[in-house]
Amino acid sequence: MTQLLLHFSYAVGLVVFLSVIGMHLTRKNTACVLFYIFQSLAVALLLFVPALDKGSILLMLAALLTLIIKVILAPFFFLRLINRHELTFSANTYLSLPLTLIVLALLFGLAYQNIFQSLLIFAGENMNVVPLALATIFSSIFLIINRRGALSQIIGILSLENGIVALTSFLKVEQVPGLDIGISFDIAVWVIIAVLFLSMIYKKFGTLDVSTLKELKEE
Amino acid sequence: MPIFIIILTLLLATVCSFYLGKNIRRLEKIVIFSAIIELITAGYVFFSFITWGQINFEPLFSLNAIGVLFFCLIALIGSTASLYSIGYLRVEMAKGIITVSQIRIFYILTHLFLLAMFVAISANNPVLAWIAIEATTLSTAFLICFYKKPTAIEAAWKYLIVNSVGLLLGFLGTMLFVALALKGVGTNAWLSWQMILDNAKNMDPNIAKLAFIFVLLGYGTKMGLVPMHTWLPDAHSKAPVPVSSLLSGVLLSVAFFLILKFKAVVDIAVGQNFSQSLLIFFGILSIIVSALIILRQKNYKRLLAYSSIEHMGIAALGFGFGGFGQFAALLHIFYHGLAKTILFLSAGNIFLKYGSTKIKNVSGALQALPVTGRLFIVGFLAIVGLPPFGIFFTEFYVFSAGIKAHPVLVCIAIFALILVFAGFLKQISAMILGKKSADIPVGEANAWTYVPIIILVIIFVGLSLFLPDQLKTLINLAVAQ
Repeated sequence: MTQLLLHFSYAVGLVVFLSVIGMHLTRKNTACVLFYIFQSLAVALLLFVPALDKGSILLMLAALLTLIIKVILAPFFFLRLINRHELTFSANTYLSLPLTLIVLALLFGLAYQNIFQSLLIFAGENMNVVPLALATIFSSIFLIINRRGALSQIIGILSLENGIVALTSFLKVEQVPGLDIGISFDIAVWVIIAVLFLSMIYKKFGTLDVSTLKELKEE
Repeated sequence: MPIFIIILTLLLATVCSFYLGKNIRRLEKIVIFSAIIELITAGYVFFSFITWGQINFEPLFSLNAIGVLFFCLIALIGSTASLYSIGYLRVEMAKGIITVSQIRIFYILTHLFLLAMFVAISANNPVLAWIAIEATTLSTAFLICFYKKPTAIEAAWKYLIVNSVGLLLGFLGTMLFVALALKGVGTNAWLSWQMILDNAKNMDPNIAKLAFIFVLLGYGTKMGLVPMHTWLPDAHSKAPVPVSSLLSGVLLSVAFFLILKFKAVVDIAVGQNFSQSLLIFFGILSIIVSALIILRQKNYKRLLAYSSIEHMGIAALGFGFGGFGQFAALLHIFYHGLAKTILFLSAGNIFLKYGSTKIKNVSGALQALPVTGRLFIVGFLAIVGLPPFGIFFTEFYVFSAGIKAHPVLVCIAIFALILVFAGFLKQISAMILGKKSADIPVGEANAWTYVPIIILVIIFVGLSLFLPDQLKTLINLAVAQ
């Protein structure tokens, strides 16, 4: 059973990490959202494990809420926005594709550096999967920085949050379900606000390319 | 109990503002009512703590000495800014800049913003505190783009993105601390700050260091420490003035409050040197960068925003130096909150009169706004740290605490403060003492726009000249904790 759980954790870690790599590689907003759905689904599955293990209804509720918000609600808003404004393609990246891949490789390497060694030891049996979560966190931050498209930045932030949730899960941090529900509620409100902002930016600037937002610099 | 009174009052104020709709007078009455409750509750919290010690409403909420200090600061500045906003928004509506619906949204979001800050300070669990801090970002994002101008939307977007990334890093640090503490407590427990402190000595020092770095980067972004400060000048300059005063006067301090909570943990886990070195580094960097930018600033709201970064740097430096510097830093945060609110609210009156935040477009403010002009001068003298104002003494004590161990850094910081003084003097004198243009009428907009500032000035000057023993005791207790 433990071995099975370890394999499951590793598979989830891999999906979470590969999803963010997919987000980097794709130029289509819809594909970016799809990668986010895969990633969120994997993270939600990760949350279901302790709920089933402990038979806790509250933990199950928290996991279910995460699933609804991240796999259904957020993508629904994003896809509706893409369809409404015909935002098929995301804006360009600041770095070219080869350079992006080099940076991603460096970030992956960073996750295995000595500085995080204690974290691996702390994770115990999950030590092999922790670097994947760390690499997801670093790659998500890089996605936010490297993308000119506001939608990609939003997805980058949500991917960063997924990476952190995956990491805490691998470290076996189990807190009171009420707090998990609170965090999920925060994320839901954040998604709604972010989508409203995206609409506002599109209406005012006619694009979601954040490199065109230069009004403040001219003051 | 007092914490619940505040939470209930602000929740009720939010719901009532939402349902009572477009009746401005009713909305204003709600603001006045909630401001009075905040002040009474803060007074009760202060004197209860002095008399009986810790204020608990466990497991959810708890206030220790430092919490009480920040609780009172939020109540004082929050209620003043709320009362000021009545007059400010009346003028803007009369000019046709905003509509009744916008005013309603403003009040709803301001109540939520204050509520989130009170919860962040009172929360007895680091994750609950994080949720509340995240809620401050969500409630203020729309306040920053209140005027819906392209520049305001851009500033709000920057604020949302930078702070969200920052707070997620803070969340990562928080969860690492939680993971370390849970190892000692057992899983699925409600972790109070005290439980984390109790488990601190058994924490893995390397993970504790890593966690504190993430916390410092995360909440440091919200606090406006350089180089994570990039959102701050834009957000402060684009938000309506009462919101700018709340952002600058309290929100930055609330973020620092959480850093200090984690500092106490990491100090037990790895010793004080680690957190102190980091605070000194970010503190001195913030002072230097803001001083250089203040010198060539062209917008008075941005000038005040950079001054906030400088003062947060001084507070960080105080805790970095340790010893008596910590007492001075806490008092500095309190004084800065008051002085910066005086300046921002006065700047709001100048904006209402001149319709511009550019320094070159404002001259003769003392003639045009006789009361506000004088209040602005008092705020200016206070914020640059001239005696007999409290900030002079707190800066002096911060630097005294560090002069033996870090003489070069202290000299650099003092030189930077001289630059800040020169920059402020150059900009403010042009605005205040110049000759007013003939088309600018003389007189204040209405009593709501200056009476709250006068009250703050009286409190600030009073506390500068005479620091009550109760407040000294409270700050001493806060440092000891």
